[in-house]
Amino acid sequence: MNELKAALRRCFEASGYFVGNYEDAANMVLWLEKHGLNGLGELKNTLPFVGEDLHKSLSNVIYEDTTSATIDAHGRSALNCIASAVDLAHAKALESGIATVTVHNCHNRMFVLKALTDRGRSGISAAAYWQNGSDIVTEHAAAIKSGHRYPSYSEATIRSIDNNDDKQALTIICSSRVDLGLSLQNQDSTMISPAQVERNKNDCVENGIIIDDDVWHEINRIGAGVLVENTQRSRADAGGG
Amino acid sequence: MTTYAAIQSSLSGDNSLPLRPESQVMDLERLGSFHQSRLSFMRTLVRRVFKERWKISPSVFDLDNDGFGTVVYKIEAANATFSFVIFSTYISDDERNDRVIATKWDLTMALVEGEVDHQYIEQLRLNVPKQEAGRVDSRVFVLSRANRSARNFNYVIDVLSQGNQPDIDKISKVGYLYRTTAVYGSGKLGMADWEKVHSKHKDFARPFAGEMFVCMMLRNFSLLQVEHIAKMRAPQSFTPLNYEIKRYIGIGNSTGLGMAPYLVNHPQLISRWVEMRELALARIRTLGAIDERILSQLLVLLDRCLAHTKETITEDEWQTINNHKVVNDLDNLIQFSRDNLESWNAIIAFSEQHCSLQGQEMLVSVMLELYPELVDELEDFHCCDEFLDLDPLMPASSLKHIIEQRYKWALAIDFNAKGAKETYWYRSEEKMEPRLGSVSDIEGKKKQMALGVGYAARKCYDQLGEYALANPAHTTARFLVAYPKVRGIVRRIQCMNKSTYGDIQANLLDQNVLPMHLLRCKLAFFGVSKFDPRSKLWVRNTMFQGAPLLEDIGNTFSDNWFMPLTPRL
Repeated sequence: MNELKAALRRCFEASGYFVGNYEDAANMVLWLEKHGLNGLGELKNTLPFVGEDLHKSLSNVIYEDTTSATIDAHGRSALNCIASAVDLAHAKALESGIATVTVHNCHNRMFVLKALTDRGRSGISAAAYWQNGSDIVTEHAAAIKSGHRYPSYSEATIRSIDNNDDKQALTIICSSRVDLGLSLQNQDSTMISPAQVERNKNDCVENGIIIDDDVWHEINRIGAGVLVENTQRSRADAGGG
Repeated sequence: MTTYAAIQSSLSGDNSLPLRPESQVMDLERLGSFHQSRLSFMRTLVRRVFKERWKISPSVFDLDNDGFGTVVYKIEAANATFSFVIFSTYISDDERNDRVIATKWDLTMALVEGEVDHQYIEQLRLNVPKQEAGRVDSRVFVLSRANRSARNFNYVIDVLSQGNQPDIDKISKVGYLYRTTAVYGSGKLGMADWEKVHSKHKDFARPFAGEMFVCMMLRNFSLLQVEHIAKMRAPQSFTPLNYEIKRYIGIGNSTGLGMAPYLVNHPQLISRWVEMRELALARIRTLGAIDERILSQLLVLLDRCLAHTKETITEDEWQTINNHKVVNDLDNLIQFSRDNLESWNAIIAFSEQHCSLQGQEMLVSVMLELYPELVDELEDFHCCDEFLDLDPLMPASSLKHIIEQRYKWALAIDFNAKGAKETYWYRSEEKMEPRLGSVSDIEGKKKQMALGVGYAARKCYDQLGEYALANPAHTTARFLVAYPKVRGIVRRIQCMNKSTYGDIQANLLDQNVLPMHLLRCKLAFFGVSKFDPRSKLWVRNTMFQGAPLLEDIGNTFSDNWFMPLTPRL
């Protein structure tokens, strides 16, 4: 897993992610994979677009009060911006007891789970809700209680929706006073409990991760962007010997 | 037995011990002056193996007359059974290369959980000899390789096969039969992650314990192998290696720049190691009674350090000068101890006034040696959770204040001065080997690694100053939404502010930076000796010289192999 994390860091670094963000992004992918939530599958869908954030505007706060904020991510990947949004919700929750941050125009929102989980470890309860897709729409919810190490995650397919305003939106709720146990009302939803998430992790730590060759090569191909060409002079930069 | 809470109260608060200040300890040159100590990882490993009386013996011994083949050691540790698998392969002299870019080695090795059967050994044989080009599974948790010493390996076989012992002066010049050129662990190449090792394998749940164990086993195998080859060559005349000489043979090590980024990228762990060393020193300064026995031991150890340093051979002019200074320092410390030693604070103060940094740190290592009852229990506290968590609620003004306090050293650097940003660190496409370049290489500079912590802190401070003025009520979280580029350094600053010793204090981008200090610092924590720099970027050294042998396990144990000396036969 360390090797995968290092490769992911290089991949995101080569894609123009800032210091801090590329570590976050690598951790988000790895966390999902390690906890049985298909991080590498999600990443596979993301990789063709991973360099595009470089040409997009930075996220900015378009509305803010003491208990809420709205952020426009300008079409960036959650890998590259969502940690800051969760941090902001966390800070507001500590100030006000409970806070909501809504992020618009944000892709790959499944990756928010790692950032949510970190809140649990920090003594904050956190939850997130988002919808995905256009023809077939799925809805997703994740939550973690204060002091806990593993979140719950549920997913359901719903009918097509007309509200275009909600596309690529993600709602984050954090509270320092209320334990949030978010679950979908949809009776057909599938839910993965914190206990199952923990079992998935234990299994992964024991047996390691099997990575699809294509994904592994693509991560490394992109990551090679941070490597410097090998020359005689470059060899001397290592000290000879 | 101490506790984490007791350690914390010794590090900070009303009942804390008088620790040396971070401005003194975390200075890079001082960190690069550290020596091995009884808290070094080789020492703590050997104590564990011998106190717990691990059972270690070959379960497979399949070497031909020239020493090529396969050997598997079965290791019955206190909590579980492991296997150490070695493949010995012929390579020609011109194929032998210590650099990370090499592709063939005399020996390749793996440390594996549980016992191994024939099928698993064959699976390892397909991958372990390839090292970085191979893949192993999560049963493996350390992978390594080693090359024979051109000067000693065949020589020792020749003399043993003739019924003689090697010339001890020749062994003293190169104190090993093999040099290990890389030791990989922690999830690389398909191996188990540290998370698994730490949680499942209690026998190796200390930093680098598995890696150090592999080097220890390599050393013991090297002794076994030369005796085997010599015996096969001339069974009639062969004589086994003298025990004292065996003890004096260690394992050579070549360490290059690859170790340097580790120190920068694991600031909490490095800070923890420093905390334990400094806490041990503070305990001794406060609690360590000086009586005749202690004084006598001190003089013995200072004498031993003096002799050890004189025996250290290096062609490097800088290290030679340093060693001469240390010899002089030790003479002065011996004289001071004989004449004036009333308290540890007095001799520390004397050393700080009259000794080089390497001499001062030698004294610290000696002091630690004298009080195992105050020091050894700290070996269980070298691990830490490495979470660089953001404190999102922290006011931006408080963050600014922290930089002014804890990163004062960085703010004092003039990054606009000539040469202050001259160096950059990068990874080569050749095995991703870390290298050090000049900013005149514009293309390479664009790909530099983010190791300039001081410069990043400076830039963050400048942005934060303007922001905090304009938005005095804003939190760190809000600041980072506006300035995402500084997310990494902000998180680091906040977290390191919670540690006692914080970040390494150096401008790693300066044209005069000496990466050797970073390498040496980490190697001292490992417990190596005989530093022999081959340039400012890589160093040869010796591991486990003087340590007890596998055959000694179960016998009486003396943890007295600090600064080993050439045996007088």
